[in-house]
Amino acid sequence: MNDTTMNGIAKSGAMTFPLPLAPVNVNDCLLELYEEHYELEDYQKGVPRWCTGCGDNAILTAVQRLCRDEKLAPEKTVFVSGIGCSSRLPHYMNTYGFHSLHGRALPIAEGIRLARPDLKVFVNMGDGDCCSIGAAHWIHAIRYNMNMTAMLHDNNIYGLTKKQASPTSPIGLKTNTTPRGSYLEALNPLSVTLGVSNVSFVAQVVDWIPKLLYQTLSAAYHHKGFSFVRIIQRCPEWLPTHMDDYLHDPQRVLLLHHENGLEIDSELAKRYTNMEEHDPSNLNRAREIASGSDPIPVGILYRNDDVPLYEEVRSDSRLRTTSLVKNGLEAEFDKFTIWPEGQTRAKHEAA
Amino acid sequence: MNMEVKAQDQIAFYLTGQHNGSGLKPLDRSYRPALFARHADLTAVRYDFPLVLNSEGTPERAVLSLSGLVDEAVEALREDKDRDRIAQHGYALEREVRKELAHPIGRANGVAADFATLWNAAAAQLTVEDSTVDDSAKRLWALFHAKGELVDADFALPSRVVRHVWSVVQASKATAFHERAERLLLKLHAILDAEIAGSDKGRLPERLRAGLAAQAGTSFATTFNFDAMSRILIDAKPALALSEARRRRIQGIVDTIDRQRFYVPKTAVTGDTQAHGFVFYRCADALQAYKERRQEAIELLKALSIAELEVNGDYRESGSTDVDDQTSTSVPGHDMIFEDFGAGGLDAGLLATLPDYLVCQYSSELGAEETLQIVEALSTGLPIRVLVQTDDLLEPSGIAKANLVAPERHLALASRSRQMLDTAINLTDVFILQSSASQLFRLREALLRGMSYNGPAFFSVFSGSTGHNGDVPAYLVAAAATESRAFPTIVYDPSAGSDWSTRLAIDDNPSPQDAWPVHPFEYENETLQTRSENVAFTLADFMAMDDRFREHFAIVPKADWSEAMIAVPDSLKMSVKELAKGTIVPSTVPCITLVDENFQVQRAIVNRRALEETRRSHAMWHSLQELGGIHNSHAALAVERAEARAAERFAEQMKSLVTAPAPSVQPVKEPLAAAAQAESITVGEVAVTVAQESHGDDPYIETARCTTCNECTQVNSKMFAYNGDKQAYIADANAGTYRQLVEAAEGCQVSIIHPGKPRNPKEPGLDDLIVRAAPFN
Ligand SMILES: Cc1ncc(C[n+]2csc(CCOP(=O)(O)OP(=O)(O)O)c2C)c(N)n1
Ligand code: SF4
Ligand code: SF4
Ligand SMILES: [Mg+2]
Repeated sequence: MNDTTMNGIAKSGAMTFPLPLAPVNVNDCLLELYEEHYELEDYQKGVPRWCTGCGDNAILTAVQRLCRDEKLAPEKTVFVSGIGCSSRLPHYMNTYGFHSLHGRALPIAEGIRLARPDLKVFVNMGDGDCCSIGAAHWIHAIRYNMNMTAMLHDNNIYGLTKKQASPTSPIGLKTNTTPRGSYLEALNPLSVTLGVSNVSFVAQVVDWIPKLLYQTLSAAYHHKGFSFVRIIQRCPEWLPTHMDDYLHDPQRVLLLHHENGLEIDSELAKRYTNMEEHDPSNLNRAREIASGSDPIPVGILYRNDDVPLYEEVRSDSRLRTTSLVKNGLEAEFDKFTIWPEGQTRAKHEAA
Repeated sequence: MNMEVKAQDQIAFYLTGQHNGSGLKPLDRSYRPALFARHADLTAVRYDFPLVLNSEGTPERAVLSLSGLVDEAVEALREDKDRDRIAQHGYALEREVRKELAHPIGRANGVAADFATLWNAAAAQLTVEDSTVDDSAKRLWALFHAKGELVDADFALPSRVVRHVWSVVQASKATAFHERAERLLLKLHAILDAEIAGSDKGRLPERLRAGLAAQAGTSFATTFNFDAMSRILIDAKPALALSEARRRRIQGIVDTIDRQRFYVPKTAVTGDTQAHGFVFYRCADALQAYKERRQEAIELLKALSIAELEVNGDYRESGSTDVDDQTSTSVPGHDMIFEDFGAGGLDAGLLATLPDYLVCQYSSELGAEETLQIVEALSTGLPIRVLVQTDDLLEPSGIAKANLVAPERHLALASRSRQMLDTAINLTDVFILQSSASQLFRLREALLRGMSYNGPAFFSVFSGSTGHNGDVPAYLVAAAATESRAFPTIVYDPSAGSDWSTRLAIDDNPSPQDAWPVHPFEYENETLQTRSENVAFTLADFMAMDDRFREHFAIVPKADWSEAMIAVPDSLKMSVKELAKGTIVPSTVPCITLVDENFQVQRAIVNRRALEETRRSHAMWHSLQELGGIHNSHAALAVERAEARAAERFAEQMKSLVTAPAPSVQPVKEPLAAAAQAESITVGEVAVTVAQESHGDDPYIETARCTTCNECTQVNSKMFAYNGDKQAYIADANAGTYRQLVEAAEGCQVSIIHPGKPRNPKEPGLDDLIVRAAPFN
């Protein structure tokens, strides 16, 4: 066979070339340069005004650690809350925060998602906040499945207003509004959530197992969609011994674990030996587990990554320029405008 | 003349190219390669041409095939009761359009044809005979979703297609640019506006009133006290102001983006600024333009980069220095980084933001000077696209003219564009597409890839309009060039990988694994029996189509056909053997198969010069195959060696197997029961064991279980402190009393504080405290 070179190209099968430089955008490399390293202090603000011993402290620490480990830029992160002890959490986060109206944290968080898709959104609600006055918003937030991490600080009581029964107060609990013990069966936030269409992430955890609290919140944060985490939270001020039995008996929590859920490390496994392998994609089993309250199931009950996000379904690529907004509004108004005989918008504007 | 003499005459022609009155007939224009026999009239065939240069839809639909569109539309009508009728009309309309395009009636030659116009004209024409055609044409049209120029394979095709794809890519770049600029400007203006609104000036009563201009004159506007509002606002909030440097910087980038001339502004602006042009006919002009606009480009790219940082609040004027224990890392500030922006050259990724330069040149016009310019342009790494169109592949090389009689006179075989191609490949980061015009539709995806490539791209296209092929359509000439390997299809994509095998693709050639594409050729002989033979299409066949080279072929009358007449590929092999044996007079002659105007099969002898050119082109193809990873000699050698090594190893293993004793495998029994027992130790015991083992009598906290509840830290914040994870540990056991330790242990709701033994035996009340501490130790 002819063995000369072809047209000056040396014959070689093994010759390799360096890859062409990947397209470099100067902004990318500069931003890279400034990638911050964060400490827990970067997320701390003020001294929490919660009672000593309050479980909200544990939740605060867990979210601060999460933010630090995920390197969330404080100016790209927002915590939204309603009203209640738990709703004070945004004050203690050195990020953006919105301490809003009782029960209204979720619609505000949804608005933020739509207007500022670049922000990471967290929501903190009390049981009164979420399951009582805010229940309607809660149901629809599950169905809309917008990307955010919602935490229900469930202390079974109205803490801030000094011990009134909440929808999650167990039957028989004596409170200021139910001095002879509450009459109704408690609402089960997990069962409610798991019953709403489009539900995409449901987990439960207790405030007194820090490691698990962190892991669960981290999984919730990484889930793309509406992640709902019910955190059983102690209120030593109004219900000082309410959770003691659970607190001191590791057998009274049921650790849910699975390769697609939480992986339990050996330290935890040594103490909490009451475990169940539960596949979070199994909705029916999740519902069964949710209905049990003793032992308290903790871990990821349900996760479905395929539920569409409302903000993606309805994303609008148009730039919200002033003229776009103005024209949109004018077009709406024009539907109801009655012009005098012979007058039109065009003429009106010309004049 | 007897057979013997005839054979000698044939050999004589093969060796000398002379007829010597031998009964051999000259090859003239009436003969065509056998494989084209069925395609005498291309307007009657449904094939991928003509093409629609679509100006609607995504870039993937930039180049469409008329037949493809009709097929798609018919497919969409699958469920329709009129489908068959519409399909038949569609095919007829297609044919009508082809005819009109091939032999323009109402249109000057070379003027671009409009798809809609030709489609409607064809519909009008056919409706005269069948009134339902009109309906079919309309319904098909509605399904096409395409409009633009309709082009057939001709002299203008390469530049039309390449330019069209280029402009489609530029249009999507323009859209992206405008969207980005609009977004950035909106946010930059918002920053500037916010300053005004937040300044004392912005809170003056007039401005507040102006904010309600729409309500001017209404009772609200007249009753509202804007003066009081202004006073409150000015007192209540300190005015916020941008630093002078930042305001100037933002204003500067706004102006630069507003004034840019690289893209046509979306809305006409007043003034005389005109957008730059990017299509050139000489590389020198393109390079000159690039140099002239370089500073402008730098300014714009810099403004865009700064704007991105500004709108995200990420612009840091000065840098920072981080001092660790030993090391200190400095980060430069953006002021410094942007001061020298572009000084070290702009990289292709950044430049991709701007439009790409397109240069269209004819290889026949490429002198040494222009060739150099193209090489320079391609080696800059700039996103420049160069099209070199070749119209004549067989143009004799520089030292030869007209014929090939002298031995040193090789065919150029597209030498000019080939030189460019070789240089481009050696530059290693140039995207290359070489293709005949007829292949362009099939290669539209590669074409688009090249146009969107982040660096220089070189397109070498053979038009098929040679002017030496009589009335053979350009499409067929171009296709024959690909088929014969005279102009192989090459896609070289540097972004596809790091080595030849991933970057160079030649699989778009017909039968890329073989030396030549071989096709079955069927015909009837005189006794009307169907005969079939496999016919290869070689450079010799391609040359036989060209007026200038017909003299290298001689038709052998059927009566004189003999066994000694063999196909070109066989002859190439044979002549190598004969040459090796020192044979001077060969025993066979190479032949090609043709058809004459009466569709009769004919054979022509190929003379030695033409055969040698064929051999040369075959060698080039073979080298290309190797580069493309086919029949790679290095690889073959490597495989051979590896096989030899493997065989050796295998032999050795066999040897050692025979000598070594068989390993004794003992099933290992897991002490399962024992393990289970160890696991079942209760939690309390574990904690106690750990406490005794690692802490002795010292107090300690199970830090990992701490819930940050503040109980212990409130008892004594020197003794109890939080670590970096905000979980408590004993910072200093001596900073407080044993009582405090015990009280903290009692207060800790999760019972993780272990007080240990008292350190100060003189502390009052120890007896009681030790009892209280017991449950926590
Ligand atoms: C619209 C409205 N209704 C009632 C209240 C009074 N209010 C304040 S906090 C609260 C309940 C707090 O309980 P929960 O939401 O469980 O939060 P916690 O304090 O327990 O964390 C109520 C009823 C209010 N602030 N706003
Ligand atoms: S009242 Fe209860 S929930 Fe509120 S801060 Fe105190 S302990 Fe926490
Ligand atoms: S009392 Fe216990 S849980 Fe609370 S901070 Fe101290 S160690 Fe942690
Ligand atoms: Mg509550």
